Amino acid sequence: MWNELLFAFQSVATLPNFLAMFAGIWGGVIIGAIPGMTGTMAVTLALPFTFYLPPVTSILLLVALYKGSTYGGSISAILIKTPGTASAACTVLDGYPLARAGKGGKALNMALVSSCIGDFISNISLFFLAMPLAMFALRVGPPEFFMLMAFSLTIVASISGRSLVLGIISACLGLLLATVGEDIYGSYRFALSEDMKSGLGMVPVLIGLFALPELIKMIVFRSEENTEAMKLGDNRLTLSEFRGSLKSICRGSLIGVVLGAIPGIGPSTAAFFSYSEARRTSKNGDKFGEGELEGVAASESANNGACGATMIPLLALGVPGDVITGVMLGAFMIHGLTPGPLLFQNNLGEVYALFVGILFSSVFLFIAGKATAGAFTKISRIPQTLLLPCILILCVYGIYSIGASPFDVTVLLVMGVVGFAMMLLNIPAAPFLIAFILGPMFEDNMRRSLAISRGDLGVFFQSWISWGFFALTVLFVILTIRREWKKWREKRDATPTSAS
Amino acid sequence: MFRQLKKAAGLAAAILATTTMISTAQADAYPEKAITLVAPYGAGGASDLAARALAETARNYTDGKPVVVVNKTGNGGMNGARFVSESKADGYTLLLSRVGMALYPAVYTDSPVGWDAYTFLGMLESTPMILAVNANSDVKTIDDLLTKIKDSDGATTYAASGPTAIDGFSVQALLSDVDLDPLTASTLVPYKGGSALAAALLGGHVDFLAIAAGSLMPHIEAGKMRALMVYSPKRMDALPDVPTAKELGYTQAGQVGGWSGLYGPKGLPDDVVAKWTEVLGNVATDAQWLDLAKKRGSVSIIGDEDPSAFVKSQFELYNGMAKQFGYIQ
Repeated sequence: MWNELLFAFQSVATLPNFLAMFAGIWGGVIIGAIPGMTGTMAVTLALPFTFYLPPVTSILLLVALYKGSTYGGSISAILIKTPGTASAACTVLDGYPLARAGKGGKALNMALVSSCIGDFISNISLFFLAMPLAMFALRVGPPEFFMLMAFSLTIVASISGRSLVLGIISACLGLLLATVGEDIYGSYRFALSEDMKSGLGMVPVLIGLFALPELIKMIVFRSEENTEAMKLGDNRLTLSEFRGSLKSICRGSLIGVVLGAIPGIGPSTAAFFSYSEARRTSKNGDKFGEGELEGVAASESANNGACGATMIPLLALGVPGDVITGVMLGAFMIHGLTPGPLLFQNNLGEVYALFVGILFSSVFLFIAGKATAGAFTKISRIPQTLLLPCILILCVYGIYSIGASPFDVTVLLVMGVVGFAMMLLNIPAAPFLIAFILGPMFEDNMRRSLAISRGDLGVFFQSWISWGFFALTVLFVILTIRREWKKWREKRDATPTSAS
Repeated sequence: MFRQLKKAAGLAAAILATTTMISTAQADAYPEKAITLVAPYGAGGASDLAARALAETARNYTDGKPVVVVNKTGNGGMNGARFVSESKADGYTLLLSRVGMALYPAVYTDSPVGWDAYTFLGMLESTPMILAVNANSDVKTIDDLLTKIKDSDGATTYAASGPTAIDGFSVQALLSDVDLDPLTASTLVPYKGGSALAAALLGGHVDFLAIAAGSLMPHIEAGKMRALMVYSPKRMDALPDVPTAKELGYTQAGQVGGWSGLYGPKGLPDDVVAKWTEVLGNVATDAQWLDLAKKRGSVSIIGDEDPSAFVKSQFELYNGMAKQFGYIQ
């Protein structure tokens, strides 16, 4: 094995490979940072170029774009409250408050460091754990997937902010909107127009919900908010801050690796999952959502951790987990390589070259991220009155460019108004989003399980994986109820004393 | 300090411009600018790969004007189809059509686009489908499978994109051919996309499936799945021992299969049609096109079929089955 590795190192360490990766990462970071432009788009646009590149170089380019864009999303999430990609939505929760408090640079640095660590851990697992993780992922059938989604929905309790009830209301709205369009059997729901038949796009909903309310708020309450530019305070990330978040970074990376390896889950769910875990276990848990560096670290380590891991089912089984790895599968096939167990027999040289090349991505990500984030930080100096209209224009163009669909733009604007109404009513937006992301997976897998068992509920309790997630769900719900109960009692005990 | 933003806006505008270029000028020598080719399904799928392969090959014969692939997905491919059929008939917006463009109107009477709402420029490729089981299954032949289905009283499961999708029809046509109830003899478990379907069989979550060869070949070659039957006019080169539905005497299943074609909006000018006939004639023998087709498991059929007669027969096949199975009255 080591001999092959050394040989692979020699074959991968060429200037064109490094150039392709560096260009890919940097391009990915910039595209990811632009609201509305996603990693999927970057990878799809780059696909035709890879027809002319050697196989390893072209896959490295696509992987680099994916990784770059996953980090890049955090830049706009932190600085302008507009997640560039869905996987950065969770970074907004603590990143933007930090930027408002003048610690934007610090948050960006934390995001970069945790992204790189997550990326590195994920690459290492791709290297050593591809086969076992892929086997585990295959065993996750519809019932197990359903239980995992049920557990993931308990995240709502962690990201609801002050009121759990408002959080649950928000999540229910998200679940409701997720049902718009075609269901898995091909019947239509809420298909009020031809466009609604294909459902609401993820990116327009996401950006509408997070970015636009800020703009509407500025127009409606003109003088109340300060419209000055944000101050740029201390930008350096101190060693003690890093050490304080290290546990969350490592845990986030591992969550990312495991969830990323299961086809269909993806980096955004991993980010929310890790955030929820970090909040539950951190001693600063109560401060999450108000600008806690650890929250940024948890979210960013998990989404980049998932990134490399999505390659596991692709390479080991030939099963792409999301659209981006789907495009990569296409790129493999174009070059006559078929991902799957045979790849490791027939093209071991290429596989090792790919693994070695991917290992370098963490380093490139750090350099490209550092340079880009530095430039983007200056955005914070632009006065809000100038910046927000620019963001609106970028969002509208970005959304339109995804599918040249005016309907997506309508969804963006309507969701902006909905988001503003929610802001006024103090309803948190994050539970809405996570429910919107998880809703279809939750529903589809429930219906799939029941189709397989022909209506027998016993199907959900047939494997230890299902039981495990079921137990975790029950435990988490009980803990949440106990916490709420304590809060309620404290309040009740506090009220009479203050009255007397 | 605005440089980054400006760069971003420029990029956004450039992409926008390439995707929505619609000219008002009358073309004297078509093509005089970039041609948009709409792929109605997601990136990385069969339609997307076919579109990109065609775009890459055709650009050598379109007088240096590029063919730009745009994915317009959703609603079973009908979003992209509707976009093209409602575009200006100037030859700058074309559709990489799939079997779904004939299947959807055959199954939904309220389809947003009819099967014939286009100018048919040509058929491109046929993509065989394979009926497969997990390699660990006790089912060794197609007869074993049919016996198992009969004995199980509806408890066997198969994965498909939906009851009225092509990979649902592939199984239902077979069941109907052997006088089983196509809707209840075996239970359909819906999944989205070829790779999710393949993973369901690989993980042993369903008993069998019949989907596009491209999604299954790697697993069959790796020994993880067993091919029982092929839906294609003749046996596949890669699977010389696996019989086709036709030779086993399954009349309806024998006609089911995937394909790609090139469509434009209805009423394309004659010079555009003539140009594309010439371009496709060149593409048909182009080594790159044939090579890319082989790599994704499909067979080039450019020039083999009269497009409108072929699409009409496909529409009638699925329309007949939809009526017989009770999807429409």
